[in-house]
Amino acid sequence: MKAPCVGTRCVEAAEPRILSPDFSELYDQHSRAIFYLALRFLGDPQKAEDATHDVFLKALRKLDQFRGEASARTWLYRIAINHCRNLLKTWHDRHVFPESDSAVWETAAAGESPLRILETKELGDRIQRTLDGLPAEYRLLLLLISDEELSYEQVGALTEQTPDAVRGKLHRARKAFAALWAKSE
Amino acid sequence: MKQQHKLSSGEQQEQTVQARTAKTTAKEFGSVEELLRHDAAQTVVPPEIARRLEESARQAPPKRPWWRRLLG
Repeated sequence: MKAPCVGTRCVEAAEPRILSPDFSELYDQHSRAIFYLALRFLGDPQKAEDATHDVFLKALRKLDQFRGEASARTWLYRIAINHCRNLLKTWHDRHVFPESDSAVWETAAAGESPLRILETKELGDRIQRTLDGLPAEYRLLLLLISDEELSYEQVGALTEQTPDAVRGKLHRARKAFAALWAKSE
Repeated sequence: MKQQHKLSSGEQQEQTVQARTAKTTAKEFGSVEELLRHDAAQTVVPPEIARRLEESARQAPPKRPWWRRLLG
């Protein structure tokens, strides 16, 4: 079995341990990206913390299955996306959520204007409010594409669609975000 | 008159502070991606996660793959 590669180094698949330098390096390199995805996708810091823990624990357990065909980042993202989607599905099954007002952003033409913020301390809250107003698919696409390590092809593979479909949906997602952002001021 | 001067000096100081604050906190982003990248860079991963992860791994160490168990 091919040993999984982390960055430029290859990890020994046998007996992975959290305390091993290789897994610690994997955690150090990718934990912020995974935590950020979970935080903004789920919209809850405590649940994001739990999810990040669970994702890396799954990764630790599945380390011997990682063949290094994808980058470590995309492998971890795949585990994180599945985990977060399952969590969201469970919540949606338990609660009735009001439909977001799609008309607000479908008809908006605010997509091209720069996004301005005066108080950076409120930035996180405002970003979360804006993301919460978007469909989960748009939210996920924007979060993935904002990671400079991922290409359109990789985002397409992670969300099971073609790169062209990603581009099309991203265009609408950006417009939707900008419209909701302007409204959230 | 002196009192008035003192007041206007205080007001001036306050205005300068406000201007400085506005200057340091105002930000503009060219795209959603840029905004999210900035937000991600500001995000701190809670150190508690690494501690919990170590604890979880210690309590239930990962299973060795079947082929390794077979080979000893």
